[in-house]
Amino acid sequence: MKEIPVPAAMLEAEIEQSKSGRFQRDSLVGFGLLTPAIVVVILFSLAPLAYLILVSFTSESTFFFNNPVYTGGNYRTIVDRFMPHVWTTIRLATLASIFNLVFGFPFAYILARKIRYRELVRTLMVFPLFGPLYLAFGLFYVLLPNGPGAPFLDFLGIDAAQLLFSEQMTVFGMALFTFPFMVMNVVASLANVDPTLEEAARTLGAASWQTFVRVVFPLSWPGILAGFLMCYGWNLGVYVVPILLGGTPQQRVLSLTLQQKAMSQFDYGLASAMGVVLMALAFTVTWVSLRFSRGALGA
Amino acid sequence: MSRVQLISVEKRYGQTLAVTDFSADIADGEFVTLLGPSGCGKTTTLRMVAGLVDPTSGTILFDDQVINGVPTNKRNIGLAFQSHALFPHMSVAKNIAFGLSMKRKPKREIASKVEEMLDMIEMTGFGDRMPGQLSGGQQQRVALARMLATDPRVLLFDEPLSALDRNLRDTLKYSILDLQRRTKKTAIYVTHDQSEAFAISDRIFVMNQGRVEQAGSQLDIYLRPATEFVANFVGDNNAIPGTIESIAVGEDGQRTATVSAGAFQLRGLALEPLSVGDRVLAFVRPENIEVVGGDIRDEADGLVTGTVEQIVFEGPTVRMTVDVAGTPLNVSASGVERLTLLDKGDKQVTLRFQDVSLVRQGAES
Amino acid sequence: MSQSIASRLARGSARQSEGGGRSPLAKVPTILQHVYIWIWLLIFVMPFLATLAYSFEAPNGGYSLEAYDFVKGAFLDNLRYSLELTLMAIVGNLLISIPAAYAIVRHNVPGKRFILSTLNVSLYAPAAVMGLSLLITYAYLLDFLPLTHSTWGLLAAYVVGTFPLMLLPIIVALRDLPMVYEEAARTLGANRLQSLFRIELPLLGPGIGAGILMTFVIVFNEFLVTLFIAGPSNQTAALRVYGLTRTAGFSQSTAAAAATMQLVSFVVVLVFFKLVGSRYLKGTYFA
Repeated sequence: MKEIPVPAAMLEAEIEQSKSGRFQRDSLVGFGLLTPAIVVVILFSLAPLAYLILVSFTSESTFFFNNPVYTGGNYRTIVDRFMPHVWTTIRLATLASIFNLVFGFPFAYILARKIRYRELVRTLMVFPLFGPLYLAFGLFYVLLPNGPGAPFLDFLGIDAAQLLFSEQMTVFGMALFTFPFMVMNVVASLANVDPTLEEAARTLGAASWQTFVRVVFPLSWPGILAGFLMCYGWNLGVYVVPILLGGTPQQRVLSLTLQQKAMSQFDYGLASAMGVVLMALAFTVTWVSLRFSRGALGA
Repeated sequence: MSRVQLISVEKRYGQTLAVTDFSADIADGEFVTLLGPSGCGKTTTLRMVAGLVDPTSGTILFDDQVINGVPTNKRNIGLAFQSHALFPHMSVAKNIAFGLSMKRKPKREIASKVEEMLDMIEMTGFGDRMPGQLSGGQQQRVALARMLATDPRVLLFDEPLSALDRNLRDTLKYSILDLQRRTKKTAIYVTHDQSEAFAISDRIFVMNQGRVEQAGSQLDIYLRPATEFVANFVGDNNAIPGTIESIAVGEDGQRTATVSAGAFQLRGLALEPLSVGDRVLAFVRPENIEVVGGDIRDEADGLVTGTVEQIVFEGPTVRMTVDVAGTPLNVSASGVERLTLLDKGDKQVTLRFQDVSLVRQGAES
Repeated sequence: MSQSIASRLARGSARQSEGGGRSPLAKVPTILQHVYIWIWLLIFVMPFLATLAYSFEAPNGGYSLEAYDFVKGAFLDNLRYSLELTLMAIVGNLLISIPAAYAIVRHNVPGKRFILSTLNVSLYAPAAVMGLSLLITYAYLLDFLPLTHSTWGLLAAYVVGTFPLMLLPIIVALRDLPMVYEEAARTLGANRLQSLFRIELPLLGPGIGAGILMTFVIVFNEFLVTLFIAGPSNQTAALRVYGLTRTAGFSQSTAAAAATMQLVSFVVVLVFFKLVGSRYLKGTYFA
């Protein structure tokens, strides 16, 4: 019986190597199969993003005229006038992601190790994934002075009127949308921590907090970090939550501002520059998160 | 029903040689086993016959027709996998019918063939079950039925029993042999389990590091190992280093060599072109060492004396380690008289060697 | 890593056990742990339930289904259009993802890692950035194609933004699928296509299903990219809901539309869980 894994592994190695043997034909077929995906991505993702960068160096909407004016002025405008927007975007994303980490980790741990109704939790947790629009809309209603949440908030001594259009509510709304991302990343990484390791640590005399600090956390932190950064990436793109739940200060986020610049004021140059800044922020976060969740995305 | 020939077949993966210089002529209806440790190239060889791996060089022929380059699905072979490889989303009947439906046989013919196959593997009425609902042995039997349903020219077995437990292995290996004998199909069977190989093969190819070490009948392999590897790999063996002192050629042309192994001498069959003065390893199996009763001391008759160092009672056999002039030898005694040996601890015994085979020392891999 | 854990454990063993619990949270009573989970479950469904409740409120107090007249009326066209678009996006994603997954798992393509992360780019670009970049691309760079304010433009945006969510579970499923099934089919006389349709695709079903589910949930509810590139004549249901929150404000009909969208999405998720379970959602968008 002991022999069984060995030939299977050998076989795999052989198949792997046989691929390199027929390298050329095989990789040609591979590229052929990838062609539709690559064409779509180039046409509708890479080219548009490159184009966005180009437009970000034109003045207002001159790009659509015959003689576009190339200038770095849009970025100067961002530095001069829109840095608060950049910081608001970062601040809200940071706060929402920290909220997710603080409240999401215990949730994930209990979910992974303690309870039996996981399917129910997983099923109900899809509601936030339907999108921030419905979440924000629903929360807005709950918080209305005479809404269904009012008695409960009164009971807790919270002034609902103050909560609506506040930064706290904006952050909560954002965090609610990204909460499942945090939870699922942590659950996935906890699944890689064999519970018997925890039991082993316990039998070796480690207290529960020691087990956590020395065994669970070191083994699961890449997933925790990946979850945090994934939430961060999503939260940077926040758009609708500040509209419905935030006040004017919270509405100074990049997505919202660039949409207004482009579609109300037709200042495509400035909007594109904001898009480039936002994209740079999001890709930095993604790049860092991919480094930490190495292998999670496969290949 | 096919003759299968492999001529100087070689398979390289980059710099690694998986199989080299493999030649075999397998007769119609013959049952051949490729035996060897994992990584010896036996599975690669089988996969080349199946067309799942392309040989780097060499020729493979079915009935004198070159089949290199013929895709697997056009070779009309049957392959039994290590894991049964039953399609998990199809019922037993659908699995058995799969090959026939690929050949676009009429529905009625397929249905009757499936019934026939289920009868043959004694699983009548199991057609609607899913593979997951069967026991390991039943799964492997269905896999055999699926493979035989298309009436393949050659049957290939890739360690089909290694995932099963021992009892099942013992019964199934005879079922496989029985099926092959009844269908009279050429079969190539890959295994690392020598008892399997001995039980069912007409001919065994012992492989190591991509090469055939020895090809022959069970008796050839067991009693007349051609190389040190074969002697060590197949069964237990005692290896006694020595030098050939003389060679006598018998009437039947057999060459019997007398080997001096330190303090004692022994005689063995010299298969290779060995000559006087060669350093050799003399192999003698524990069960081919006889403990001679009494206190006969006649070295000229090929008897040696040693001290019993350890005795283990294993039920049907008694295992002893006997120190003969500094060389520890494993001796395995069976039969009724084995019980009389149990009180021989620390005592002198006289041993007689039978079927000693000689292999040139260090001549091999 | 394992060595350092071993040494840490070894150091821990020198100590006597402190505290009696079994896990880091052992000192928190189990009941509180359940309460914590349930509070969050409530929060997850609360916005939906509140929206649903509000949609039934009659303007003069009491309850009525009046608001759903809008859903059955003007909104129905948007809903139908959204479902059509979602279906088309699913088909597009399948046609792109299945060959790509085969290339990545079964073929030796140089630079696989790089290609895969490039394919994922639009997954990580914020929706507003995607929307704006596609807006200017459709209007100018690809103006020879009928993309501006068209179904094709929306479809391309949805496909490029969601096919990685289809690709990843199929890659996972294909990796989990042992080669022996393909090989067994080949030895039994099946050619590549026969083996693909009779053996591999059925066995990849759960992975493909996971991709279909994710495409559905995202595309059906997407409004932000749509806001940039849809015209007045091709309003999706989700975009209509967003528009209502800006124009009609907080009305019962807005609530009814939002509740309907979530209800449809949720029913699809439930059906999926019932049919294929959540195995291949692991490590992806949902789990």
